[in-house]
Amino acid sequence: MLTIRQFSKSYKGGKKAVHNLSLTVEKGDIYGFIGHNGAGKTTTIRAVVGVLDFEEGEIEIDGISMKKDPLACKSRIAYIPDNPDLYDHLTGIQYLGFIGDLFNVSRKDRELLIAKYGGAFQLTPHLGDLISGYSHGMKQKLAIISALIHKPKLLVLDEPFVGLDPKAAHTLKTIMAEVCSEGSAIFFSTHVLDTAEKLCNKIAIIKEGRLIAGGKTEDVKGENSLEEVFMELIDHD
Amino acid sequence: MINIWRLTKLQLLSTFGLNKALHTKDAKERRKQLLVSLAIVCGVLLAAVFSFGYSYAMAAAFEQIGRLDLLLAIMMAVTSVVAFFTTVYKAGGVLFSYKDYDLLMSLPVKTSHVVASRVLQLYVLNLFFTLIVMLPAGVVYALKVRPEAYYYLLFVPLLLSIPFIPIIAATVVGALISWVSSRFRASRMINLVLTLLFVVVLILGSFTLDGNQPELADLGTGLADMIFKLYPLAELYVDAISAYRVDAFLVFTLLSVLSFAVFCTVLGTRYKAIHTGLSTSRAGRKYTMQPLKASTAFQALYRKELRRYFSSSIYVLNTGIGMVLLFIMSVALLFTSPEQLGQLADVPQLQQYLNTLAPIFVSFFVALSCTTSSSISLEGNHLWILRSSPVPKHIILLSKVAVNLTITVPVTVVSCVLLMISLGTEWLESLLLLVIPVIYACFSALTGVIVNLKLPKLEWTTEVQVVKQSAAVLVAMLLSFVSLLVPLALKFLLTGLDGKVIMLGIGVILAGLCAGMYRYLKNAGERLFLGL
Repeated sequence: MLTIRQFSKSYKGGKKAVHNLSLTVEKGDIYGFIGHNGAGKTTTIRAVVGVLDFEEGEIEIDGISMKKDPLACKSRIAYIPDNPDLYDHLTGIQYLGFIGDLFNVSRKDRELLIAKYGGAFQLTPHLGDLISGYSHGMKQKLAIISALIHKPKLLVLDEPFVGLDPKAAHTLKTIMAEVCSEGSAIFFSTHVLDTAEKLCNKIAIIKEGRLIAGGKTEDVKGENSLEEVFMELIDHD
Repeated sequence: MINIWRLTKLQLLSTFGLNKALHTKDAKERRKQLLVSLAIVCGVLLAAVFSFGYSYAMAAAFEQIGRLDLLLAIMMAVTSVVAFFTTVYKAGGVLFSYKDYDLLMSLPVKTSHVVASRVLQLYVLNLFFTLIVMLPAGVVYALKVRPEAYYYLLFVPLLLSIPFIPIIAATVVGALISWVSSRFRASRMINLVLTLLFVVVLILGSFTLDGNQPELADLGTGLADMIFKLYPLAELYVDAISAYRVDAFLVFTLLSVLSFAVFCTVLGTRYKAIHTGLSTSRAGRKYTMQPLKASTAFQALYRKELRRYFSSSIYVLNTGIGMVLLFIMSVALLFTSPEQLGQLADVPQLQQYLNTLAPIFVSFFVALSCTTSSSISLEGNHLWILRSSPVPKHIILLSKVAVNLTITVPVTVVSCVLLMISLGTEWLESLLLLVIPVIYACFSALTGVIVNLKLPKLEWTTEVQVVKQSAAVLVAMLLSFVSLLVPLALKFLLTGLDGKVIMLGIGVILAGLCAGMYRYLKNAGERLFLGL
């Protein structure tokens, strides 16, 4: 579903943010992307979703090159950044309608899915309110719903659990498992190692822009906990 | 007091992009900032030269009636009135709508000091204009009158005091409007309507003031009366500076400083309450799922853009005032015949000029109403939504152009029809009057969006920085004005050529430019948008 081949991205001035990164996310995968602050996670994610331009390497979504056909790629992706700034001047339902229109979601599908996910995240009663009045967590929930209503093949999430209350975090985990069982894939960054260990079937660890470990979760962590492996790799590798 | 300076400095660094220019490591960005700065400096110098020439010409006229002091009076009054007008509709935005409100208010700084720093931001911006107008006027006055040393001693501190009172008056109005609006559910819309009403009433009021002019017998005294009636403090200013009256100087300076201090202290007591009222959106009734509608991506983007436009009072006021003025003037002309206007302006052939140049006159107001030059910058932190959307980027850009045309074209067409009636234009003049402003509207909207793509300002703390002070807005406006000056210059230079032919030629050229810009957006829009 997502193939990253020898992707590199340099900052202005020459310093490499990501260096020669390759990984593959397959159908049904929940792929965790782990690294300390400034390791290059967000840079990689932004390139994957077509927000960040890049020169070196190749990124393919469902076999389509992001460089050659970005629109076809974007129509298969849903992206939620780490701090979703949504249009404050719209109401929740207007925003969902806007995203539905951009992704060409049918009237029937959007009614069904908004009702489903709005109910799951207990946001439906607030959908008529302006987003400017939403809390951080409510905005995060709205961004998640907007990502789910167009049934993406690849869900790319940057720190999706930040700001969510425990119930919403649990709901999100359940939904993540559900969408992957239906054939989609999820690629997400997180600092919550416990969650990554339990939720992900594959994990990649990035340090200073380089992939230092990657593959099936049980292969990466072996007999240890993910936290122990992560600390070991970050401190000594 | 040091905190006021710290806060003001912080805002000014952000306002002019100075910090970015100073610290960016990106050579391309630095070059761009340097070029923009150079263009602004050139613009300021050019304005100062024009201002000097204007003051010099006026001084020659005042010299004949022995009232050179009126040069300073009229320039000071004009500066103050302009400061008042330009501040009144951005005061609310600068005072209450900025993103770092929570951060600033959580700092151990008095609320009145936060207010003071916001007002000082407005002050510094207006001081530039005051310097451009008053410094050349002061120099011309000194050259002509050869005043005593007192003049120079008093001129500088008074120069710095001039913007205070008009700014405070404008911010009082802005704060009052914000305070009233904050008590209503639809606070933003009420704020917008009240500010617009205030500006319109003020403009209509100024028309009645001009109407007294022909009745005045003695030109010198009459003009002085009119200026002092328009702005009474001008009398105090002239007394201080040309008669070296220390009491007038002290009263003027004290009034300026005290009004600033009192305003900041008083507003400081209600500041948080007003901000809370304005920023709190009340929860509506519990939403229950209803049948939803689906539309095309373009329609969705257009609706989103239109809602964005009307959600910002500074955006609407800054770009909508041109259309309001155009409509008011078109209606007013229905009740004043062109002959009467010609007599009033002492230009007997005014009707002939008006009939030919009316399309340019209307297009001037269209150029003032360019929403696209700030529409991309206003996306700010939300840009990720559009960039990650599976929509061709030229569709996004064209939706912004469509909103601009929605704002300008209907009012322009109605106003043009009214002008046809009042001016009694013949069929070709009527056709040109209708078509050229519409082409100008397309030209202005397309230019705006391209300029904003090239000169985006995505990091901002208040919408005022984007809507009124960003490089894209200034450059787009400059381009529009240049495109208006060309036909005007041709009309006066090519006296042998029929004005209608010139207009026809300009229309064809502009339509061609619009087609070129449309193609450019279609071909390069994706690359430029993703490069933001």
